[in-house]
Amino acid sequence: MLQILIQGLLLSGLYALIAMGFTLIFSIGRVLNLAYGAYLMVGGYMYFWVSQTLGMPKLMGVAVAALLGVLMGVLKYRLIVKTLKGDHVAVEISTLILAVVIQAGIVLVFGDSSKILLPIVPGVINVAGASVTYNILIATLISWAILLGLYAFVRLTHTGRAMQAVSMDAKGAAISGIDPDRINLITWGISGALGALGGVFFASYTQLSPSMWVAPLIISVAVVIVGGIGSIIGTLVVAHIVGFLEVIVVATLAPELRGVFTMLLIIGVLVTRPQGLFGREEL
Amino acid sequence: MTAALQVSGLVKRFGGLVATNDLSFSLQEGESLGLIGPNGAGKTTVFSQIMGELRQNSGTIELFGQEISGLSTPQRIRAGVSRTYQIPRPFGDMSVAENIRVGLMPDDIWRMIVSRPDTDREKELALSVGFSETDLGRSPAELAMGDLRKLEMARTMATAPRVMLLDEVFAGLTVGEIAQISDLIQSMRKDGMTFLIVSHDLPALEPLIDRAIAIERGTMIAEGSFSDVMNDTAVQASYLGGV
Amino acid sequence: MGLRWFHYVLWGGLISGMFLLPQVVSNGTLRTMIFANYLAIFAISWDVLSGRTGYVSFGHPFLIGIGAYTTAILTKRFDVPVEISIPVAVVVTMIAGLLVLLPALRIRGSYFALVTLAFMELLYQLVQVIRPDLTGGTRGMSGIQTLTRGAANGYYLSTALMLSVAVSMWLLMKTRIGTALAAIGMNEESVRGSGLSTTRLKAFAFLTSALIAGLGGAFYVHYLGSLAPRALFDINFLFTIIVAALLGGTSTIIGPMIGAFFMTFLLEYLRPVLPGAERYFVYGAIALLLYMYQPKGLVELAQRGFQRLRKGGLA
Ligand SMILES: Nc1ncnc2c1ncn2[C@@H]1O[C@H](COP(=O)(O)OP(=O)(O)O)[C@@H](O)[C@H]1O
Ligand SMILES: [Mg+2]
Repeated sequence: MLQILIQGLLLSGLYALIAMGFTLIFSIGRVLNLAYGAYLMVGGYMYFWVSQTLGMPKLMGVAVAALLGVLMGVLKYRLIVKTLKGDHVAVEISTLILAVVIQAGIVLVFGDSSKILLPIVPGVINVAGASVTYNILIATLISWAILLGLYAFVRLTHTGRAMQAVSMDAKGAAISGIDPDRINLITWGISGALGALGGVFFASYTQLSPSMWVAPLIISVAVVIVGGIGSIIGTLVVAHIVGFLEVIVVATLAPELRGVFTMLLIIGVLVTRPQGLFGREEL
Repeated sequence: MTAALQVSGLVKRFGGLVATNDLSFSLQEGESLGLIGPNGAGKTTVFSQIMGELRQNSGTIELFGQEISGLSTPQRIRAGVSRTYQIPRPFGDMSVAENIRVGLMPDDIWRMIVSRPDTDREKELALSVGFSETDLGRSPAELAMGDLRKLEMARTMATAPRVMLLDEVFAGLTVGEIAQISDLIQSMRKDGMTFLIVSHDLPALEPLIDRAIAIERGTMIAEGSFSDVMNDTAVQASYLGGV
Repeated sequence: MGLRWFHYVLWGGLISGMFLLPQVVSNGTLRTMIFANYLAIFAISWDVLSGRTGYVSFGHPFLIGIGAYTTAILTKRFDVPVEISIPVAVVVTMIAGLLVLLPALRIRGSYFALVTLAFMELLYQLVQVIRPDLTGGTRGMSGIQTLTRGAANGYYLSTALMLSVAVSMWLLMKTRIGTALAAIGMNEESVRGSGLSTTRLKAFAFLTSALIAGLGGAFYVHYLGSLAPRALFDINFLFTIIVAALLGGTSTIIGPMIGAFFMTFLLEYLRPVLPGAERYFVYGAIALLLYMYQPKGLVELAQRGFQRLRKGGLA
């Protein structure tokens, strides 16, 4: 029982970090960035290359991964999302194609086989009878720290409040002097960084492989759909629903079924409550 | 005699906003009624409720004596009522003829497949709203606002309605186009068509209607002949206030 | 219906050309053509639904997989003859198509695409754990009965199947139902406002699409003789189908066919240079650029070029 609680908390913290970047884009532009999972993958591989292949400091690997994430986010907004203007379905199809291209690019550079990421922080700790790696513990703590930082950024800074304004009403924000294009660009950059960071932790939790982007994408999709609002708090809440669901299923039913209930949750919520559990301004 | 269209006690709320407030009116067969009111008065919302695109909160809508509130939009169209939209909504990647074809289709998949489109009827409808034969192959992207309204009329007429609801028929049209559409409406009136017409162009509307009702903020404020309604103090206040 | 003499000539030319092909090309090329044929069937199936009505399905492998698994399980585990198992597979796939229809009655656009994606992932996980004695679990199944022997026969069968699907869909889409389905893709409200029940039209599109997907999936698995969940319920497979349709040109029949052949042969020619999944890098990059700058596909490009030639020739 305590085991489930601890595992659930740890996994959910990671999921919240992963889903956050995806939710941000959704709340600002109402677009679903299906190449988001590929950010995670690229972040994970970049960290692997810098810290394990080149043998540079781990922090350096994390920083390079995050920077690359920013670059990918910004480029994608400039080259794809802006070109396709308001056509959401076209953005989704293109980002899906892009994800496959990135996946193939990873195979091209790093090969097909999966790679094990050494733990960022080695060691194991015993918490109430459950053994927990420092790695996941740190990942969860850092993910909480990042989420808190993001929350403060959105609430307290000028740019953050502009982001809120754009997400509520892009036209209204434009009238009151906010440049939605600039805000979008910033948001895509932040989202890319969050994705790449999430990828580093996610990869150290599972492993690196060219198809590792699908699972986190589905988790992010579930969080946006089930949560509905695209807010930071909503993301946190739903990430815990999804995370605990998974941990409970693995512990009580079968590990292979870990994703089934996430999928059923997506389908069920979309069919019965298309606006999400916590409401959504538009659909 | 049962009315062609009988609306009773219609209420529609959007959150706190009452868009239709206990509205009642009726239309006899062959009659033409004008529906006027300032922008945002709730005219389009009334149309949407009659067509079943919006569900009223309360009140009844009867078409030739049959209560249609429980019917879907296509079912209401089959029962004999059809509308045009304030903002024309053509099928963008189709020709004028194909747009009209969709309106002419039976709501029966088997018959859609086995029987051919009635191209003569498509042409006849297109010509009757003022298109020329060469327009049949044009795409909506090439059409000016006037032509788009004509297309909207033709597609609505294709569903063979007995009652037609026209929303802002003259908006964005040239004087020549207004005359053309007016002639079309007049000739359809002669043939016994029943109309409910919304228009801001009051001089153009006047000759097309037998009676008028005016609404403001969803509430009826005047009813009677066109001149009675226009001379009503509430109507004048609302229009002056609205300008 | 607007059938013209040149329609007969073009289809006649294509059909006879395809059936004469085994006389002139190698068995290796024929094997590639077989894949192209099945991909064309899947792309036509996707296009009937998504290309026409605008309900973009990210879950077509779900439908194809149901068709493939149904007939594979029936023939291998229960010794049902294929004459029965394939029709049953098609019917089961159509029922699954109705299941996917349910969300489409309430949601569209991105959300619909995501539900279908969720359906695909759901089935992927379920076939691995539920009754692995029937489905073969994670490893899938092998030793499934094959219908033909040799490249030429496999080619004839797949070509016959692909061409019958293509011609019948082409004829069907030339009727008013094709116009009505395309109208849904352009403006669903206006279709309702024209007096047509969009629910019924959508159900028709889903059923037709599922029928073709089930048929293609069933014959495909009886050609391969094996099936693996990871290869079937895979985003790369989905991507191949969607890109074939988009590349060729949606809302046409010839578009998905051309796209499927183009895609299969491009991937094949890239094989010596890039042997593994890296091929998708080149392929995807081309597809992405083409989709963003010519969303109507190769058919549209060809048509425009042809018109320009004709105008140039007359002037
Ligand atoms: N779907 C809707 N949701 C909320 N409010 C609406 C909706 N449609 C219309 N309204 C509001 O109802 C009122 C009446 O609108 P409408 O019927 O379009 O007016 P009119 O056609 O007379 O100009 C307006 O205040 C409008 O903002
Ligand atoms: Mg209006």
